[in-house]
Amino acid sequence: MLKCLLKRKRTHYYLQKGENQLDKAGIIGLFEKVAENPDWQARQWKKEKGGKIIGFLLTDVPEELIHAAGFLPYGICGGRSRLDRANAHLQIWACSFVRSSLALALERKLDFLDGLIIPQTCDTTRMVFGIWQHASPLPFLQNFRLPRQVDRPSAREYLIGELARLKEQLEIYRGAKISTEELQNSIKLYNRNRSLLRKLYHIHEQNPASLSAKALYTLLKGSMLMPREKVNELLTELLKALEGETTPPGEYIRLIISGTLLEPFELLDYLEEGGGIVVGDDLQNGFRYIDGEVKEDVEPLEALADRQLNRLPFAGYDQARNPRRYFLSRMAVGKKAQGVIFLHLKYCEPENYDYYDNAQALEKAGIPTIRIETEFGTTSLGQIRTRVQAFLEMVGGVIND
Amino acid sequence: MTERKTFKTAAFMKELMAKYYQEGKEARGKGIPVVWITAVAPVEIIYAAGLFPYYPENFGALAAARKVADKLSMVAEARGYAHDLCGYARCGIGDAYAEEHPVGEIVKPDLLFCCNTQCGSLSKWFEVASRFYHAPYFLLDAPQMGHEPDKLGEQYFIAQLKELISFLEEFTGRPFDYDRLKEVLRLSNEACRLWNEILDTAALKPAPFGFFDACFHMAPIVTWRGTEEAVTYYRALKEEVDARIKEGISAIPEERYKVYFDHIPLWPKLRWFSDFFAEHHALVAVSQYTHSWAYSFDIDRPLETLAENYTEEFVNRCFDYRVQLKINFMKKYNCDGFVLFSNRSCKPNAFGLYDKRNIISKLTGLPGAVFEADMSDLRFFSESQVRAQLEPFFEQLRSR
Repeated sequence: MLKCLLKRKRTHYYLQKGENQLDKAGIIGLFEKVAENPDWQARQWKKEKGGKIIGFLLTDVPEELIHAAGFLPYGICGGRSRLDRANAHLQIWACSFVRSSLALALERKLDFLDGLIIPQTCDTTRMVFGIWQHASPLPFLQNFRLPRQVDRPSAREYLIGELARLKEQLEIYRGAKISTEELQNSIKLYNRNRSLLRKLYHIHEQNPASLSAKALYTLLKGSMLMPREKVNELLTELLKALEGETTPPGEYIRLIISGTLLEPFELLDYLEEGGGIVVGDDLQNGFRYIDGEVKEDVEPLEALADRQLNRLPFAGYDQARNPRRYFLSRMAVGKKAQGVIFLHLKYCEPENYDYYDNAQALEKAGIPTIRIETEFGTTSLGQIRTRVQAFLEMVGGVIND
Repeated sequence: MTERKTFKTAAFMKELMAKYYQEGKEARGKGIPVVWITAVAPVEIIYAAGLFPYYPENFGALAAARKVADKLSMVAEARGYAHDLCGYARCGIGDAYAEEHPVGEIVKPDLLFCCNTQCGSLSKWFEVASRFYHAPYFLLDAPQMGHEPDKLGEQYFIAQLKELISFLEEFTGRPFDYDRLKEVLRLSNEACRLWNEILDTAALKPAPFGFFDACFHMAPIVTWRGTEEAVTYYRALKEEVDARIKEGISAIPEERYKVYFDHIPLWPKLRWFSDFFAEHHALVAVSQYTHSWAYSFDIDRPLETLAENYTEEFVNRCFDYRVQLKINFMKKYNCDGFVLFSNRSCKPNAFGLYDKRNIISKLTGLPGAVFEADMSDLRFFSESQVRAQLEPFFEQLRSR
């Protein structure tokens, strides 16, 4: 009894007043509110805890290290910023995710950040560091220089070294060492989060009437914007609520989304309207974010490196062992997908270089594809809706109104 | 058009480059595998392994200079490769699928070796090509170095050079010849030394040799670096430049100003630009681009020295380092101003230039301008727009 009470107390430690009574709609609603107001929870955390917040550009950053140092990791998701603010610093033909993220900083919408870590996954993330440093200086600004080849032994050895370097920088900023125990606890926390989100991903696939694609990806996005302890508590509650649901499965069009980032979220509404569900993706802010565990019984930095090197294929890395086109066609066949939507950010070079070969491989596997090009802030939603509707009609036959 | 005296060595270069392409074509027939390689990569290893290094970037620049980059690019674009990808890559991919080859067919690789010091575009292009040509691909990964180089990145590079050597040993079926590597490094050193002595003459006023001359004469330092051919060529060019100094022949008539230029030239408009600057009595004296090949190897530590030289190259350095480098060049060559080319198809060199312009002007007091275009594709070039972007700069030069 006492144990149970204690556990309960701890469970709700991070929740705000009233949040421990949230039902399914309430929890999803909270995540929606967070996604709409991405700085809300971070600012609140800072006000209450007085701690430091370290932002990161999506998504190949070891958040566990930031968390272990006692800082709040915060995923900068781009957004509805005034893109023109970035024009004086970054060409209009640069990736709109990076442009809109920089614009957020210039608009002082990220002024709660104490630091920023930029993972070098492409030429734009590689070059924006210096621009950011001058245009919007921060007390803690670090590159995370990921290896771009991932299959040879040298990549692992180097990555462990780079993780150690980043850890050391965080320690200097914190003014104290990060203990192994702290890091192990953070790893557990993030593993738990990934496992919860994977379960939810599975629920959407099995029973989309219970959890829509929009709700699922909103949970994923919200996770990057809130303290992870709180996220895990909310997701645990949500899973409990969903377990009880027994809506009969209907007929859905099974789709895979492939690309760098899920943008715009309205795409998911259009899928739902047309009876589409998402059974797989390789998005940075999608399944790629939650795939893979960090081993808890291995030296923490080695374990972090191993997860990074074994993540889903991404255009930013040269993956000889698991080439992306075969990965995609295997996933499409394995998941019985009826179509693949290539969701491409305009000016994303790595993604664009992969596209033709990926599309060819899927064509060979008999999977229809569509390519939709989007930009943060300026995408024409009406056009996307029309194209998605047409694609769903093509792959799913006539849709019953 | 401004009158200029052509270099006698120009004929020698044409001969040398014809020989290079001929050797590329014949290599496979002679049992010498063709290795695709990138411009800022340790080609010394490839020469030492007895393989033929082929530079697809050079093919891109050639297609651009012959003004057919758009034609080849459109073949790639028809397959979904965007028109804002690297212009060289679009030419290379376009040529792979094209039925017509306006600059001759690109030499097919038996092996692809990319070093990503320059950018991530090359590594993706090579990846595409390795699938297209069914040839193995080795990526030599170079983490970006900060203001000060770091041991972690260099150790990683050395570890990969060892992996590369094992990979080549397996590929060729023979042990790697370290003695031969030392000889190749010595030849590289010699060619780089001569090349940089030639570039340095642009600091003289008037100068016998400028950036546009360097663009014309740089093919051998890229392709033949590490061989006797490069050394012989630059020795001849150096002699000619020295003779010009004695005879008082200058690169442009009535040189009044010296300008720093960043980065790659617009290949299809090389002559137009060189005339445009000359009309304003401005000699483009220096660019970080032509100084990319300034290696100085310590022959007794072959792998370490390769790692240091290639990872510490400016293309692999951070924002602040590059700002300082540009300023150093401006000082060394007594520049009166600088022009930065926001090159649509070279994102890593273009991104950051807007801020760099302001920072450099603030630190040096020199006028500077940024203009927009594409290094190879004339669809992104507007003569009137470039004039409008650069005329105020020339006005500033005049009023200094």
